[in-house]
Amino acid sequence: MKFEFDNNIPIYVQLVEQLKMYIISGKIKPGERLPSVRDLALQSRVNPNTMQKALVELEEMNLVYTERTNGRFVTNDQKLIDKYKQDYAKEVSNKYFLNMERIGFDKTTTIDYLNKLGGIK
Amino acid sequence: MLKKLLKYDLKNVFKVLVVFYALSLFFALLTRIFLSVDNSFVINIIGKVCSGTTIAMIFNILINNLMRLWVRFKQNFYGDESYLTHTLPVSKKNLYISKILASVISLFISFIVICATLFIAYYSKENINTVKNLLLPLASIYESTVIKLIIAFILVFFLEIMNMLESGYAGLVLGHKKNTNKIAYSIFFGFGVYILTQIFTILLVFIAALFNKDLMNLFYTVEILNVDVIKYCIYLAIIIYSLNIAILYIINLKLFSKGVNVD
Amino acid sequence: MELVKCSNVNKNFNNKKILKNINLTIPRGKIIGLLGKNGTGKTTLIKLINDLLTPTSGEILVNGEKIGINSKKVISYLPERTYLDKSMSVSEVIEYFSDFYNDFDSKKAKKLLKDLDLDISQKLAKMSKGMQEKVQLVLVMSRKADLYILDEPLGGVDPATRDYILDTILTNFNEGASVLISTHLIADIERILDEVIFIDNGKIILQSDTDELRKTEDGSIDEIFRRMFKC
Repeated sequence: MKFEFDNNIPIYVQLVEQLKMYIISGKIKPGERLPSVRDLALQSRVNPNTMQKALVELEEMNLVYTERTNGRFVTNDQKLIDKYKQDYAKEVSNKYFLNMERIGFDKTTTIDYLNKLGGIK
Repeated sequence: MLKKLLKYDLKNVFKVLVVFYALSLFFALLTRIFLSVDNSFVINIIGKVCSGTTIAMIFNILINNLMRLWVRFKQNFYGDESYLTHTLPVSKKNLYISKILASVISLFISFIVICATLFIAYYSKENINTVKNLLLPLASIYESTVIKLIIAFILVFFLEIMNMLESGYAGLVLGHKKNTNKIAYSIFFGFGVYILTQIFTILLVFIAALFNKDLMNLFYTVEILNVDVIKYCIYLAIIIYSLNIAILYIINLKLFSKGVNVD
Repeated sequence: MELVKCSNVNKNFNNKKILKNINLTIPRGKIIGLLGKNGTGKTTLIKLINDLLTPTSGEILVNGEKIGINSKKVISYLPERTYLDKSMSVSEVIEYFSDFYNDFDSKKAKKLLKDLDLDISQKLAKMSKGMQEKVQLVLVMSRKADLYILDEPLGGVDPATRDYILDTILTNFNEGASVLISTHLIADIERILDEVIFIDNGKIILQSDTDELRKTEDGSIDEIFRRMFKC
């Protein structure tokens, strides 16, 4: 796993975001076992405490669960993963529409533009 | 922990000293060989050269022993290495005692090697007899044997060297308290303390003289002293030097245990 | 009980006040950055905790006890200078550490040195300063201490070495222990810090959780530091 950071934003927030991306993009499969906190911290070169905090947050989001003796696993709940995926898609799309609006493209124009762009490709 | 400290202190001193020990014994052996083969002028010259070198080596051992101990004290307690020394889980007291023990042990061994060197180079019946005849009058004063007298002399010399060594340590401790990075202060204080110990010695002799008229003559005349006075002096020397050493030890330990401020 | 607690600590040198009334606690299990410009008192504070200086006034407690044998047993300290006897070989130094520190793991040290392609029989005097510093880092991180104190571990090294040093620290510090890192190179290190302590002109200006500070002051620690001290 690769991580990249921006020092301006709390590190654990970025870790949650990037780990979530790995899960919803399927790079880490449902039910897959995660490396230990220490190993993850090492891979990402962050403090183990920060990694722990991020994983707890992911647990609260139910994307990850702990088995007492075996470690941490990605959820098997495909529906939940899909939901987060949908939320993410929505968020990114809304942001895109908002940006297009700033340069005067309303929603229909933007969609037409996208179709055209996709068609050329 | 004291044992471990001592192990490393001794290792450090002897690392170089053993080379001088070997050289010293080697030249003593050469001296003996060349001086025992007689008649040839050239061989005799070589023998004399070896003899000179042997004597030089003996001084080398003493000077090197002292210098190494002082340098180690300085580096270990106040130089870069102090960052390790003072963060070891060991008391300041043990750090200091280890240095003193290493000093006594190394000086003792150096003395033995020096005696062995002299023995190897110069032992012969005639030489022994010369020394004996030289010291016999003195020995008879002490109602003792020549060999006991020699041991007493060596003991006084040993104590004097220890006194010098500890004055040097006191100089380093005091000099460092005064100024953390100027070695000149340490040298200055070292000499100062040494001179103080000498003044203290004279003072004690003077006090002793108040109870011994003949001894008082020491301060008035340059004439050859009374037999009894000579007898008295050697005991006095041993007692006073031991006292000096003990006092320096206690003061150094007290000052050192108060903590350091290394640069 | 706090790992380290400084109460009203002052340190003067020749009547110059180097540290002014320092009150500070170092919690357990945290990586803490001691951040400040050069010559603001970082090293002085660290040397006080390590018994290399005596405070002019005030008190420092480690695990509730005064600085002494017990505090030295649990603190593993990396100074900013080379402090080993240079006439020793690396393996002799390893023996030295295992002689004096019960928590020293010589197997680990040897493994880490091997990873560095280092010949253990080599004398320190024959090694470059950078190499000697790496050996020291390995020795310090091979102890199972309660507190690691690293004084400017990143000063004057190239980016590759910087990564190596950070990795070595993160991989090897004892779980549950704390790490106190002093540095003026904040950007390189802020990502691994739980807490930061800002020190300026001999005074503690601020002690805070890193991510909290990023949120409330809005920016990277490096930026916040620059804003505060205009350097």
